[in-house]
Amino acid sequence: MSERKQLLMIDDDPDFVEGIKSILTAAKYDVDVAHNPKDGLAALQKKRYDLLLLDIMMGRGAEGVMIARKMSRDPKLREIPVLIMTGIREQIAFLFGSQALHPHFVEVDELMEKPVEPRLLLERIEALLKAASQKASEKK
Amino acid sequence: MEKPSRILIIDDEEIVLDSCLSVLEGRGYEIATAPDGTEGLKKAEEFAPDLVLVDLMMPGISGFDVLEGMRGVDPAIVTIVITGYSTVESAVEAMKRGAFDFLPKPFTPDELRMIVGRGIERRRLVLEAIALRREREMLQQNFAAIISHELRSPLSAVQQNLFVLTAELDSQLDESQKGRFERLKSRIADLLKMIQSWLRAVSVPEGTIGENFVPTSVRTSIAKAIESVQPHATRKDITITDSSPESLPPVLGDEAILTEALVNLVGNAVKYTHAGGKVAVDAAAEPGQVVVSVADTGVGIAAEDVPFVFDAFYRGKVGPDAEAGCGLGLALTRRIIEAHHGTISVESEIGKGTTFTVRLPVHTPESASPPGEAAAAPTTLEPGDKR
Repeated sequence: MSERKQLLMIDDDPDFVEGIKSILTAAKYDVDVAHNPKDGLAALQKKRYDLLLLDIMMGRGAEGVMIARKMSRDPKLREIPVLIMTGIREQIAFLFGSQALHPHFVEVDELMEKPVEPRLLLERIEALLKAASQKASEKK
Repeated sequence: MEKPSRILIIDDEEIVLDSCLSVLEGRGYEIATAPDGTEGLKKAEEFAPDLVLVDLMMPGISGFDVLEGMRGVDPAIVTIVITGYSTVESAVEAMKRGAFDFLPKPFTPDELRMIVGRGIERRRLVLEAIALRREREMLQQNFAAIISHELRSPLSAVQQNLFVLTAELDSQLDESQKGRFERLKSRIADLLKMIQSWLRAVSVPEGTIGENFVPTSVRTSIAKAIESVQPHATRKDITITDSSPESLPPVLGDEAILTEALVNLVGNAVKYTHAGGKVAVDAAAEPGQVVVSVADTGVGIAAEDVPFVFDAFYRGKVGPDAEAGCGLGLALTRRIIEAHHGTISVESEIGKGTTFTVRLPVHTPESASPPGEAAAAPTTLEPGDKR
């Protein structure tokens, strides 16, 4: 039995966060939360996370994108799989309907539209964690 | 502090230039002069005047040509013509060509001051109008995104917690309580969907919709549209048949946006058809056009409603088992079809059903976009493989 996975969630909507956190905690994940991009980046620097749940529209605009970009430039952070959760159905989501999307900010990432079905969320997280560990073992 | 208004005076008579300068001096204007039209236009480029006084009769290019040229420099420049021969005709002609006012020679200092003052005021108003229009355009462009976030966020948070609570309380809730949770979720899902379709209606600007048009198969859009509506039809026990031929001539368009239009039509057909009914989608190639029809055996549209079905926010009298809608689907559909240079029409009989017919012009190589443009589809994001 592997140890509990460490997840970080960056999202500025406390109610939404609570809903998601409840699903993840029940599924035996450890979840840390940052309610703004600044705290989120600080948390990423302080602790090694297995996966990041990232909101896009925060603060003055799409600040989640800024975090993803920063991560992609950091050799360590870019290995963390990212699940982008966004309430805004961007043109991209509109174009590809409900298919799994790869924003390609970092090596392993995907996009989901808020709100998410709990079961679907857990499936995606599991898949992302698996994909990331596969990528990591390929590199070794 | 506001920067001083800039005035350019173009006149070949030095005495006129001088007297203008002395009259307008000390009133907080920044003034430049030019002895003829060609010089004047050149000066206007660098000086960027708010107001131009121009003599109509000058050697070289005429005052009329200067008016024309000023519009090229900045269409918001206020121009006032100085007419040496105070004929009404030339003044009227100048104003027809965009001059704000005219000043017949000889003029008194007061006349000049007054007309310049009014001209500067005019310029201020013109600039203000431009700024307001820009602001409105910006707001319009971003409106969809702003509203999307502001309206959807709280609803998403509520929905998210409903999802979680139903799962967490599953063993403690009785059937009636579970039913109420399900209805809450579906009401919020409808609301989210309604916001989305409204957003799409306002965020498909005619001006830009054609930018990514490429030769597109209507067949693909039909298949995708049916696929997207199928679950709804299955729930209502409605059969959707697709008789469109495998190959159809291409149309110039955006597949996703066309699909959106067809989703609206097929979705509407399902929405307004009783359980157990039929929706028939068909397509055919006719000379120069592809014709797509969506026919249902539904409630039909009353004759008095037919002329308005494509209007935004119009919803006809709905039957007892009609489903919720926001009255935007068809308005959006028409906008999409018209952006593709097509037409949409409807035939309906109350109680029997409705048929919508879309006609799209066939794409011919002559109407093709320049090479390269078609290939320049965005590549940064692509549909991912399902894992």
